Amino acid sequence: MGATLHALMHGFEIALLPMNLLWGAIGVTLGTAVGVLPGVGPALTVAMLLPLTVKLSPVGALIMFAGIYYGAMFGGSTTTILLNTPGESASIATALEGNKMAKRGRAGPALATSAIGSFVAGTIATLLVTLLAPLVVEVALKFGPAEYFALMVFAFTTVSAVLGASTVRGLTSLFVGLLLGLVGIDSQTGQPRFAFGVPELLDGVDVVVLAVGLFAVGEALYVGAYSSRIPEVMDKITGSLWMSKSDWKRSWPAWLRATAIGFPFGSIPAGGAEIPTFLSYAVEKKLSKYPEEFGHGAIEGVAGPEAANNASVTGALVPLLTLGIPTSATAAILLAAFQNYGIQPGPMLFQMQPDLVWGLIASLYVGNVMLLILNLPMIGIWVKVLTIPQPLLYGGILVFATLGAYSLHQSVVDLATLYVFGLLGFAMRRWDIPVAPAVIGLILGPLAETQFRRALSISQGDPSVFYQHPISATLFAFTALLIVVPWVVRRVKRARAAPR
Amino acid sequence: MSRAAAPRRSPAEAALSIGVLLLGVATAVGTAMLPSEGGYARIGPNFMPGVTGAGLILLGVWLLYEVLSGGWRNMPPQDAEARGEHAFHPLAFAWVSVGLFAHMALIQSGGFVLAGAMLFACVARGFGSPRFARDLAIGFTIALAVFAFFVLVLTVNLPAGWLAPLFRLAGIE
Repeated sequence: MGATLHALMHGFEIALLPMNLLWGAIGVTLGTAVGVLPGVGPALTVAMLLPLTVKLSPVGALIMFAGIYYGAMFGGSTTTILLNTPGESASIATALEGNKMAKRGRAGPALATSAIGSFVAGTIATLLVTLLAPLVVEVALKFGPAEYFALMVFAFTTVSAVLGASTVRGLTSLFVGLLLGLVGIDSQTGQPRFAFGVPELLDGVDVVVLAVGLFAVGEALYVGAYSSRIPEVMDKITGSLWMSKSDWKRSWPAWLRATAIGFPFGSIPAGGAEIPTFLSYAVEKKLSKYPEEFGHGAIEGVAGPEAANNASVTGALVPLLTLGIPTSATAAILLAAFQNYGIQPGPMLFQMQPDLVWGLIASLYVGNVMLLILNLPMIGIWVKVLTIPQPLLYGGILVFATLGAYSLHQSVVDLATLYVFGLLGFAMRRWDIPVAPAVIGLILGPLAETQFRRALSISQGDPSVFYQHPISATLFAFTALLIVVPWVVRRVKRARAAPR
Repeated sequence: MSRAAAPRRSPAEAALSIGVLLLGVATAVGTAMLPSEGGYARIGPNFMPGVTGAGLILLGVWLLYEVLSGGWRNMPPQDAEARGEHAFHPLAFAWVSVGLFAHMALIQSGGFVLAGAMLFACVARGFGSPRFARDLAIGFTIALAVFAFFVLVLTVNLPAGWLAPLFRLAGIE
């Protein structure tokens, strides 16, 4: 406890250096400016802004990224509330009530409760990360390759098979990602795999190219083909921007409950902020004194999901920093950003580079404050960004998307790959195949393979290591339960519902 | 549940399912050409590819089974209007693609700024903007600003291409 406090204080000394504060502020502002664009979610924002950090020191770059991440989330909520176009699945719950509030001329309080709720949830969740991370590190230091492999299989299962509309489509996306992860030189033996003699492919498929291809190019192709001829309707901000006394009274319990729901979902590698946001929405609907307002713009229905989203996203930093396991597309891109600097997150990172880890955690607190004081007063400017006509908006998005892919290696091959991933993204969007499992599979697949082969090397090829170690056996058992239980529940329900 | 029960035909779902199946077969064929010796671990660089290929084949079969038994489960409505969208607009799709290909063709020779301007104008055209020349000018301005920012502030080089002499005159290099 004392050691944690000491480390955190040291982290603040780093995060509060004027240059790092500046990077944080730039990150929050850019993140909001890009994240507010319709159709641009946090994952794409982080991927597109990655090239901006090439010349920064690792600490400065990661602090800027934390800012971009938070800014993108806030920008996304603004778009969701005003345009009713959720940029990611975690914002769908917000759109339910948020857009209704905007339609009734209460956009101001909706945006305010979302911003302040995000701040409250983000700060509490960061506090929990601070307390929890060192404990997880203690445990993780005892992990061997078998335990890591079990944990990664658990993460694969939750992000692809358990969440989402269809298990088989989630798994298909995951396996496409795993296949893409195999491209390049095998790290253990130096054997090239699936490179077809193309030198550019020997380095493997870059996560940024995949993410930008799926999210930006795929989205542009999809929106162009299916909704570019539909006029957009934006709700104007009318009336007061501020929350009334009753808004406050109805918001804060929702913020706190949502934090309690969101954080655990993010911090166990259970992937995605979608479930906690809908859970929070359901809880608020049930507990509200004004259930009749739900569906017509109830403020709790915005306050809860927004806070749950933020708490879950912050909680996802626990497995990312302490175990090196990303549980969302955005976290996968953050992991790629770490790897660009030759940093592999995990328990050793806390011991080898405490400055970096604690500087980053401290900057999360700072980023949250910055978000609140920079963004609320600037809401008018962000709303202006929303009025950019769609043709120019998507033109601009693609200029930045191609820049992000091209500047990695200055290679046309990356641009061609980008287009192929764009076609893939279009098909996945059109036929409802989730994209996050592919992104996570690409970055986590090679790590899982390495741990798997390491575990078998240690055991001289004996596969019983995976079920003889208690921790890995438990994790595998959990994974099996996750697959079997929902299936059984569905069967039982169907049997009961069937006419006798 | 009710949506899944309604029988319907979707050639696209069938094609995608077969695509996944074929991808799995191709992966398996590629795996067969990889060496298998693995030292102490007794599994080599061909193990994960084998698992991935087998997985894709299984998933392809599963998807195909769903197609044959009433279509993929829990799908959004087939009808574009029910999704709040319009029917597939081939010109929009084509213009976005043309923009990206023009960008690929131009970036090494013509340079980042010209390629970016062309991409911007084509995409805007695809989204229904009637003013190609104006869009070209806007795209040029944006790409020029990005170019200058990368070269002057970040000191990251982007291809200058045909406009290199002009940039040199303007001091952007």
